[in-house]
Amino acid sequence: MDAWRRLKKNRMAIFGMALVIFYSLLSLLAAILPIHSFKHQVLDHQYLPPSLTKTAGELLYERQENTSMDAAKNEGRNELNEKEKEELSVLKQRIENETMVFDGKTVKVHQKRYFLGTDALGRDLLARIIYGGQVSISIGLVGTLTAVLIGLIIGAMAGYLGRSFDYIAMRIVDIMYGLPYMLLVIIFMAIFGRNVINLFLCLALVSWLTLARVVRGQIISLKNSEFVQAARVVGASTGRIVFRHLVPNTLGVVVVFTTLQIPSFILMESFLSYLGLGVQAPLASWGSLVRDGVDGMKSYPWLLFFPGLTMTVFLFSMNFLGDGLRDALDPQSKNRL
Amino acid sequence: MKKLFILLIVLCLPVPVFSQGVFRIGNGAEPQSLDPHLISGVPEHRIYVSLFEGLVAFDPKTADPIPGVAESWTISKDGLTYAFKLRKDAVWSDGVRITAQTVVDSWLRCLNPETAAEYASLLTGVIQGADEYNTKKAGPEGVGLKALDNNTFQMTLKSPAPYALGMLGHYAFAILPMHAIQKYGKDWTKPENWVSNGPFVLAEWKPQDRIVVKKNSKYWDAAKVKLDQVVYYPIDDNNTAFNMYLNGELDWQSVTPRERIEEAKKRPDFENAAYLGTYYYIFNQTKPPFNDARARKAFSMAVDRKELVEKVTKGGEFPALSYVPPMSGYKPMAGLTENVAEAKKLLGAAGFPDGKGFPKVTILYNTSESHKKIAEYLQQRWEQTLGVKVDLVNQEWKTYLDTRRDGKMGGYEFARAGWIGDYKDPYNFLFMWLSDNFDFNDGRWKNTQYDALVAKANGMAAGPKRMEVFQEAEKILIEQDQAIMPIYWYTTLNMIDVKKWEGWYPNVLDIHPTKFVSPKK
Amino acid sequence: MTKYVIQRFLGLIPTLFVIITLSFFIIRIAPGGPFSYERALPKQVLENIEKRYHLDESLLVQYGRYVLDILRGDLGPSFRYKDYDVNHYIKISLPNSLVLGLLSLSLAVILGISTGLISARRQNSTIDYLSMSVAVIGISVPLFVVGPVLMYFFAMKLNLLPTSGWIMSGDRWTTVLMPMATLTLPYFAYIARLSRASTLEVLQSDYVRTARAKGLSEPVIMFKHVLKGALLPVVSFLGPAFANIVTGSIVVETIFRIPGLGRYFVQSALNRDYTLIMGTVIVYSAILLIMNFIVDIIYGFMDPRISYR
Repeated sequence: MDAWRRLKKNRMAIFGMALVIFYSLLSLLAAILPIHSFKHQVLDHQYLPPSLTKTAGELLYERQENTSMDAAKNEGRNELNEKEKEELSVLKQRIENETMVFDGKTVKVHQKRYFLGTDALGRDLLARIIYGGQVSISIGLVGTLTAVLIGLIIGAMAGYLGRSFDYIAMRIVDIMYGLPYMLLVIIFMAIFGRNVINLFLCLALVSWLTLARVVRGQIISLKNSEFVQAARVVGASTGRIVFRHLVPNTLGVVVVFTTLQIPSFILMESFLSYLGLGVQAPLASWGSLVRDGVDGMKSYPWLLFFPGLTMTVFLFSMNFLGDGLRDALDPQSKNRL
Repeated sequence: MKKLFILLIVLCLPVPVFSQGVFRIGNGAEPQSLDPHLISGVPEHRIYVSLFEGLVAFDPKTADPIPGVAESWTISKDGLTYAFKLRKDAVWSDGVRITAQTVVDSWLRCLNPETAAEYASLLTGVIQGADEYNTKKAGPEGVGLKALDNNTFQMTLKSPAPYALGMLGHYAFAILPMHAIQKYGKDWTKPENWVSNGPFVLAEWKPQDRIVVKKNSKYWDAAKVKLDQVVYYPIDDNNTAFNMYLNGELDWQSVTPRERIEEAKKRPDFENAAYLGTYYYIFNQTKPPFNDARARKAFSMAVDRKELVEKVTKGGEFPALSYVPPMSGYKPMAGLTENVAEAKKLLGAAGFPDGKGFPKVTILYNTSESHKKIAEYLQQRWEQTLGVKVDLVNQEWKTYLDTRRDGKMGGYEFARAGWIGDYKDPYNFLFMWLSDNFDFNDGRWKNTQYDALVAKANGMAAGPKRMEVFQEAEKILIEQDQAIMPIYWYTTLNMIDVKKWEGWYPNVLDIHPTKFVSPKK
Repeated sequence: MTKYVIQRFLGLIPTLFVIITLSFFIIRIAPGGPFSYERALPKQVLENIEKRYHLDESLLVQYGRYVLDILRGDLGPSFRYKDYDVNHYIKISLPNSLVLGLLSLSLAVILGISTGLISARRQNSTIDYLSMSVAVIGISVPLFVVGPVLMYFFAMKLNLLPTSGWIMSGDRWTTVLMPMATLTLPYFAYIARLSRASTLEVLQSDYVRTARAKGLSEPVIMFKHVLKGALLPVVSFLGPAFANIVTGSIVVETIFRIPGLGRYFVQSALNRDYTLIMGTVIVYSAILLIMNFIVDIIYGFMDPRISYR
């Protein structure tokens, strides 16, 4: 497998692959990881900044202290008065004793630690990013695999069968390229409802085109090579020739397309979230988290920074992995995206 | 070389172009039209108030009616006939006089079924013969509008609606330059053909970019108008608009994005005032479980509205247990007090002790960050207090309207809704829940007693007795049946520095006529 | 050759026609219509409006009517914006999108190709990794994040630029900078990667080795021989890129208040403004088809390996 050897030489690609595996594992194992829930709200804890060491209670106390001090300074004092001190001690009592019930379990809610901070409804950002990763990565993966399936079949058949099938298929591709994707998605989501499956289908429907074209190109150039002629001589059926002999030779292109399409899907989903057409609440995807975080970037920068960083790093890794795979598997490719 | 460099830097600095008499407004959305009969919406209304003046205008402090084109009026004893005396110096911006016949013709145009005015309902609700004309059952002759002479205009109502006068400032009652409309047809709203009678006239209109209006020298009260120009920017992105305001590129921004309210609250130029409107959820009463009033009450009583407005919406909203917001003469209903224990009991009485066996219910809302957060909050709240499972479904506006109105609310148990009052009267809020009002009563709640009370009150003359009847009606709506679940009464989130601008006052209809605005010396 | 060109060009017309037909019927499937408002109109009034806009006729009749109108160059009145018709809105917004698109794409091409060439020449060096990393970041961050972040730093914090606006609306020329930077980034990224990959391939090809063996200098080799080969994939990418940039700039136009065509795209779909949707679809498809066509022709000229049957 000299493809593997070539890949290993590419440091960035290996680095990318490691990150992708890390992300995927984290997403898969999310349910058993020792993290908070992604949808439990503790309104008292809204907009808490990230903190590795302090508990929510400590942060709340600090916040109250600072607000009181500011108010005091505004009145010219340097010390907190009785009322403010009273408020602080009441707060302290609550922090030490207050509990909430989540899923039947009673929890001393102010002892929670939020490593990456909380959002507007007091939900843990780290958990939301990890579960959001589940949604985003699966959208990327499943959507891409669907697009690949459709594109592969149509492209291979168009390339091999040629003539009228090819003509019609390519005309369909031309037409679909010209249709406004945005419009289709809105209408599709409006008619068929906004759930994750429709999201996959929708995105896949508009993305198989490029792969179909590329696969068709590959098949056309391989159509008349010797091994195909040999297969024909032996009496292999069309289907067998196409799917057992030709398609495996396009694998390089397909793999590259897959790894480069996944980031594209994740970005498309984030665009849909921007328009309010992405995943339904209370599910989150990286795209919807980033969308929620943009407006508050001045006051609550962690809400934008961490999901944004997570998404960027993942896409980054996928892209480098894809590049590396392309260099390794298909060093003579025409390099169309 | 150095000079060139300095010149380049100067050219680049975003020095706010602040000409003394220019007022720049962040206006939210591109208006559908400048023809007052073809519009609906607050951005359109703001522009209307600068360009046109009706029989009455708006007092900047209270939004109550003050003389406009009509300098005085008399109301008959039975409250059904109004006679308006028009100003002799009321002219169009091209010099043509405004006569009583112009008023008649304008309002008839609004009612004309060919015009298809969305807000003709304001006229058909009160003016005699208007509904028949609008729905093609009769001709315009039967409508109770008459020009007694050149300067006297008379309108006849079908019932002594005390709010009728306050409505006359609304664009449905606009007085239009019929002579220009006849001459230019559909093109009468183009800047080059523009004729209007308000404190300003249209100077420039670049769709999706800006609308510029300039002072109307022929306006009868032009001496009072201190601004030279007003610029309306239709800004879709609230964050950009807020940034523009902070950066000095806008003088008045009408909406603050939720995520930045905390930032805005720290500033003195954040104008946070009561706004005449209610945010509520509609219960679907065409099927279980909410065909049972006990279930409805349980859900309403389990909410902690104070926590919701303090922590989730944060815009200083008023927790609302009743539907009609406070207005002069009408004391809001007490409603059913929030009480989780009571709520649980009621739910148990309805057949679902501790929420066991309660079907999963779904909240339908239209796409928006705010609605999403409120729905998410309520989802968890009901889960924790009542032990029920709640789902969320979000649809974009048109789809959502379509679903909500299909007679069974798309099968969803809750739909989120909001209503801003057009005028200060309880009828404007309570008419929505009449049994036959299929435009608004999407949950299909039916109560003949309520219908009778509302109809009765609407036929009474102004006064405390009328308000009492409305209160009885609302008691049925809220305390007896809990037909809908009010959540909060709206507030406005305006940004404007009233130390720099005078004549801008917060009021409950959020109407700020630019006629009175001027830069402080 | 000319015959092929003409044939191809004429072939665009039926494609455009099919696209228009499909779009026409698809958009009418979505629930809700242009005249469903929160305050519902009385039945008779609604009937009137529908009659005025021919919405009461059967779909086929409406379709036929629409096609005849298009052939006359009339895209119809907007259902939502009642004072002007669709032709007007396209006329005033298309130039803005075109200018934004052209500026951004040109910058992306210039920067992208240079970066790609340099990275390829110094493959696996620090400069290569650095520039490719910047490029990948360009396609890993959504536009609706880049825009506001730029606005926050340059307009709000540093106060160097106006927050928004557009030079063609009469605002300062500096309003062009941030939207351009935002929109250029992803296209720069694609083009840099593309040209790097194709340059790498070309650099290893026979004819370049021959040129080197002949003793030609580096700059001559790069510009006379390598550039053409490296440009090929970029050229074929430009077709769809151009059409996408015009409408995909929805985000940039909304955030920076640029009165372009992209905004109508989404807005009119949400408003069910059928005629305006169709107008934007026709413009988008026409641009796309023509750009693809031009690109194919140029590609044919540039790649000596392709000949036309």
